[in-house]
Amino acid sequence: MKKTSRLQNLFMLSDKAYKDLKKAILACTLTNFSMMLPFSVSIMLIVELIKPLQGKALDWTNIWILYGFGILSAIIVFICTKNDYKKTYVTSYMASEETRTTLAEKIRKLPMSVFNSKDLSEMTTHMMGDVSTAEHALSHVIPQLIANAISITVICLCMAVFDWRMSIAVFISVPIAFMIIFLGRMIYGKLSKKHAAAHLAASGQVQEYIEGIKVIRSCNMNGEKFNALEDALRKMMQWAVKMEFGTGVFVTGAQVILQSGVGITVFLGALLLTKGQIDFISLVMFLLIVVRIYGPFLTELTLLPELFYHQIAIKRMRALMDIEIQNGDDEIEIDDFNIEFKDVNFSYNKNNENAISNMNITIPANSITALVGPSGSGKSTISRLIARFWDVNSGRIEIGGTDIKSIEPEHLMSYMSFVFQDVVLFNDTVFNNIKIGNMSATDEEVYAAAKAACCDEFVIKMKDGYNTILGENGATISGGERQRISIARALLKNAPIVLLDEATASLDPENEASIQQAISRLVKNKTVIVIAHRLRTISDADKIIVLNNGKAEEQGTHNELMNKNGLYHKLFTIQQESLGWSV
Amino acid sequence: MSTKTKQNPKKTGMSRLLQLACTKKHFIIPAIILSALASIASFIPYIVIFEILKELLNSLPDLSAINAEKLIAYGWYAFGGVVANVLLYFGALCFSHLAAFGTLYQLKVNFATHLSRIPLGIHVVIGSGKLRKIMDDNIEKIETFIAHQLPDLVAALVAPIVMITILMSYHWGLGLAAMVGILVAFYLQVHLYGNDSAKEMMGKYQKSLEDMNNATVEYIRGISVVKAFKQTVYSFSRLHETIKNYTKMVIPYTLSWENSFSGFITVVNNIYLFIVPVGIIIGMNTNDFNAFLPKFLFYIIFVPAISSTMMKIMYVSSSGMQIIHGVEVMDNILEIPELEEPKNQKLPSDYSISFENVSFRYNDSETNAISNISFTAKQGEITAIVGASGGGKSTIAHLIPRFFDVSDGKITLGNIDIKQISTEKLMDNISFVFQDVFLFKQSVKDNIAMSNPDATEEEIINSAKAAQCHDFIMQLPNGYDTIIGTRGVHLSGGEKQRIAIARAIIKDAPVIVLDEATAFSDPENEHLIQKAFEHLMKGKTVIMIAHRLSTIQSADKILVIDNGKLIEQGNHKQLVEQNGKYANMWRVYQETSSWKIARKEIV
Repeated sequence: MKKTSRLQNLFMLSDKAYKDLKKAILACTLTNFSMMLPFSVSIMLIVELIKPLQGKALDWTNIWILYGFGILSAIIVFICTKNDYKKTYVTSYMASEETRTTLAEKIRKLPMSVFNSKDLSEMTTHMMGDVSTAEHALSHVIPQLIANAISITVICLCMAVFDWRMSIAVFISVPIAFMIIFLGRMIYGKLSKKHAAAHLAASGQVQEYIEGIKVIRSCNMNGEKFNALEDALRKMMQWAVKMEFGTGVFVTGAQVILQSGVGITVFLGALLLTKGQIDFISLVMFLLIVVRIYGPFLTELTLLPELFYHQIAIKRMRALMDIEIQNGDDEIEIDDFNIEFKDVNFSYNKNNENAISNMNITIPANSITALVGPSGSGKSTISRLIARFWDVNSGRIEIGGTDIKSIEPEHLMSYMSFVFQDVVLFNDTVFNNIKIGNMSATDEEVYAAAKAACCDEFVIKMKDGYNTILGENGATISGGERQRISIARALLKNAPIVLLDEATASLDPENEASIQQAISRLVKNKTVIVIAHRLRTISDADKIIVLNNGKAEEQGTHNELMNKNGLYHKLFTIQQESLGWSV
Repeated sequence: MSTKTKQNPKKTGMSRLLQLACTKKHFIIPAIILSALASIASFIPYIVIFEILKELLNSLPDLSAINAEKLIAYGWYAFGGVVANVLLYFGALCFSHLAAFGTLYQLKVNFATHLSRIPLGIHVVIGSGKLRKIMDDNIEKIETFIAHQLPDLVAALVAPIVMITILMSYHWGLGLAAMVGILVAFYLQVHLYGNDSAKEMMGKYQKSLEDMNNATVEYIRGISVVKAFKQTVYSFSRLHETIKNYTKMVIPYTLSWENSFSGFITVVNNIYLFIVPVGIIIGMNTNDFNAFLPKFLFYIIFVPAISSTMMKIMYVSSSGMQIIHGVEVMDNILEIPELEEPKNQKLPSDYSISFENVSFRYNDSETNAISNISFTAKQGEITAIVGASGGGKSTIAHLIPRFFDVSDGKITLGNIDIKQISTEKLMDNISFVFQDVFLFKQSVKDNIAMSNPDATEEEIINSAKAAQCHDFIMQLPNGYDTIIGTRGVHLSGGEKQRIAIARAIIKDAPVIVLDEATAFSDPENEHLIQKAFEHLMKGKTVIMIAHRLSTIQSADKILVIDNGKLIEQGNHKQLVEQNGKYANMWRVYQETSSWKIARKEIV
C-alpha cells in the first residue's frame, strides 16, 4: 500500500487519476499477455510441423485447428489493444486536465509577491509545457513501462518452468542494461539540468525579442544580430547536443548489453544441446523468444529519458504547488476603514535592505491621504502592503483595528479598488472588461459606471461599441482609454477604500479632463490613498505623508508642510519649475 | 540567410519537412546512410536463428550429433548483427541530432529575423503569445522529426525492401502471402493518418491547444488585476473552459483512431496468419515436404521481425502529422511578405522629413487611419503633432521608420522616398523614444549601447550623463554592468525613460522621433528628463507626438491631427490666434492643469 501511494505521489496524480492509471496499467498488461497468444500458436504450429522429422505422422487437421486458434487469438489481441488504447489515452488526458486545473487554481491563490519574482514565461512553461510532458509520459510511457515490467516478469517465470538455465540466459542482461541507464542518469542528470536551464533562457529571450521588437527594429538588431537571442539559441543548441550525446552513449551501451542476450542464449543452448540437457522444442522456443523479447525493453530504454524529463517537470510543478499561500478569515466584516501601520518593516527579498522600515502611520477613514516622496521611497510599496500583495516582515497593518494578516486576501480585496498605471485588459469585449469590477452588476450598472468614468465617449465610436473585442491586452486602445476603463471597473466595484496612482490622471493629457472628472467621482466619500507624483494635484489632500528611503519623514497638510521648509517644500519647488518647461 | 524562405516554391506536408531536414545536408546524409545500414543489420539475428534451426532440423531426431561449434559461431553472428545494428543506429542518431539542433537554431534565427522585417502591425494582429508558441513549440517539434523520425523513416523504407528481398528469395508463394499481410497493415496505416477527417480533427485539436495556450498566457498576465477585483474565479473559469475544451477535443480526436490503430497492431503481430493457410495448401500438395518445411518455418519465425519495423513506421506518421501542422503555422508567418528593400538605394541629401499626400489604413480596416497628410519637418526644427488619442498621431510616427508602409502617397527623408533607402540606412538616420520604454534583461551598458554597438565605454558614460542617468546607474549594485530585471533592481518609469533617451543620444542620429515620450510617468524627476531631452534634441530634426501642450509652446511647427486629418498647422502663437481646434485644446489644458484631487468636489 505504501509503495503504491509513493507511485501516485511520484507522478503527482489525484486519487481518481491514480485509479485510472492502475486500470490503464492493467489494460496494458492484458495487451502484453494477449501478444503472447500468437507466439504460442506459432510454437505449437512448429511442434506440429516438425513431427515428420521426429518420425511421427503429420496431421493437417490439427494444423487447421491451430490456425483457428490463431484467428481467435488475433481477435483477442484486437480487443485488448483497443481497450488498452482507450484506457491509456483517456486516463492521461483526464489526468492532465486535472493537473492543469489544479495548477491554475493554485496560481490564482498565490501571493502577489510570486508574480514579481517568477517571470511570466517561466510560469507559463510550467502550466503548458510541463503538463504536456507529463501528459505524454502518462499516455505513452508510464503504463507501458509498468505493464511491461509486470508481464515480462510473469513471462520470465513461466519460461523458467521450461528451463531455468535458458531463462536466466535470456534475462540476465536486462538488469545490467537498466543499471547502466540508472548509473548514467546520475552523470547526464547534470547535463539535462543545464539543458533545461538553457532551454528556459532561450524561451525567455524569445519572449523578450517578440515584446521588444520595436526597439530591436529601430536599433537595426534584427534576427541574428540580436546577440542575446542568438546566444541563447546557440547555447540551447549546444546543450541539447551535449545532453543527447550524453544520454545516447548510455542508452546505446545499454542496448548493446541488453541484446548480448541473443548471443548468450545461443551459446548456452548449444552447450546444453550437446549435453542432451535440453529438448529441441524448448530450444526453438527460447531462440524464438530471444529474438523478440528485447523489443519492448529497447522501447523502454529509449523512453526512459522521457520519464526522467517527466520527473523534472513534476519537480517544477511540485515546487509551484508547494509555495505557501496566504490565509485568513473570509467572513470578517470591516466597517471602520482607518488604516494603521504599526512598526512595519518590509523588504522585497531577504537580502535586500528594507523598502519600508519602522513605519508608524495612520491613514484616516473617509479622507484623502497622499503619499509623496522621491521614486523608490516606498510609496507604491505601502499601497501594495495595504492590499496584502505582500505580507510585512514585522509589525502589523490594521484596518479598523483588524490585522490584515487575519483577513483572507481576496476578501480583503473586496474592500479596495485600485486605479494604477498598468492596466491589464483581457481579450474580451469592452463590456466584460468593465464588468470584471463587479460580476454581479446589472447591465445598466455597467453602462452607468462606463459613463461616469467617461468611457462612453470613446466606446460608442468603436466598431461594435461595448461588444468590441479588445484583443491581446487591449492593444488597440490608447493609454488614457485604458485608464478610464480601469476607473470604470473601480466605480463599479464601489469599494470603501480607493488606492489611486495619481500619475494616471496625467497619462493622457488630451483626455485629462475626462479622467480627472472620473477620478473625482470615484473618490467621493471614500477612504482614499493617493500615490502622488505631481504635488500640485494633491495639495488639497486631508493628509500628506512624505516618504524618504522607506521612512515617513514628514506628515501634515500642504500648508503645514510648506511652512516646515523640509523635503516636501523642496520637491514642490523643483516641480513648479519644471512645469513650465518647453522644447 | 533568411532569404532562404523566399525561394521556397510553397512546399507543404512531408515534402516541406524533408526540405527543412536538408538544411544541414552534411549531417543528414551520413545519418541516412547509417540508418539504412542499421536497418539491414537488424535482420541478421533472424536469419542466423533460421540457420541454426535448419542445422537442428537436419540433425533431427538425434540432436546429440550436432556440431556445437558451428552453433556457437552462429551465436557470434547473431550477436554481431545486433551490435552492428545498435552501433550503426547510434551513429545515425548522432548525425541526425547534429542536423536537428543545427536546423532548429537556423530556423529560429530565420524566423526571428523575419519577424523584424514584416510590418509591425502584424505582430499586434497575431499576438505575441502565438508568435512565441511558434518559436518555442512548433519549431521545437521539428527536432523530433529530424533527429528521430527521419532515421526511422529511412529504416522504415529500407526495411521493406530488405524484407521483400528476403521473403521472396526463400519462397515466392509464402513471400507473397506475407506481402498481403504487410499491405493490409499499410492500408490501415494510411487509413489511420491520411484521411481528410483526421486532418480536420487535427486542425480543431491544434486550435483548442492554441486557445488553451493563449488563455494561460492571459490568465497569468492578468492575475494581478483579477486578484484586485476578487475575480479570480471568473478569470479562472475562462481558463478552465479552454482546458476542458481541449480535453473535449483531444479525446474524440484520439479515439477516432481506436479501431484502425488496434486493427493495425493486430495485423502486424499476426502476419503469420496470412502465411499459414498458404503453407498448408502448398505443404499438402508438395512432393518433397522435408525440403519445404524449413522454408515454411522460416516464414513463421521471420514475420514477427516485420512487426517492430512496421511499428516504427507508425510512430513516424503519427507524430509527423502534428509536426506538419506546426510547420504550416510557421510557414504562414514566413509567407507574410517582408517590407521591400530597394534594389538601388539612394542616400538622402539632407535630413528633413516630408509627408506627401500620405494615407494609411490597417490591413483589416476599411477606413483610413490617416488620410492625405502633407507636411514637412525641416532639418534642425522641432515639429510637434497634437490631437486627440486615436486620431492618428502614433500612426504618423510609426510610418517614418517603416513599421508600416504607406497605403498612398509617400514619405521622404532628404527628398528621397524612404522606400528607396535600405531599412538599415533609414534606421541609422532616425532615433526613437517611445512612451512604453522597453528595456532588455541585459546590462545597463548593453541596453544603452544597443543602438550603437561600437560605442566605447566612455561614449556610453557620456551619453548616460547627458541623459541624466549616470547618477542612479552608479547607485545600482553593479553600476553599468547591472543586469536589468534581476532581483533587487527596480527602476522607476522615469529612470527607464532616461535610459531610453541615453540609447537615443548615443546613436546620434540626425532625425529624432518621439512618440508620446514626454508623457512622464515619473514627475518627481521631470526636470531631469527635461534636461535629457534637451541634450537629445540639440540640432536635430525632431518630430514629437506631444502630450502636455505646455511642452511644445515653443516648437517651430505644431500639426493638429483630428480623425486622421491634418486640420491646422503653425506655431503656438499663430494657432492660438486662429481660435480653432488648437486654441480650444489649449484652453482645456490650462483648466485641467490646475485640477486637484479632493473629495468635496462636484457630482
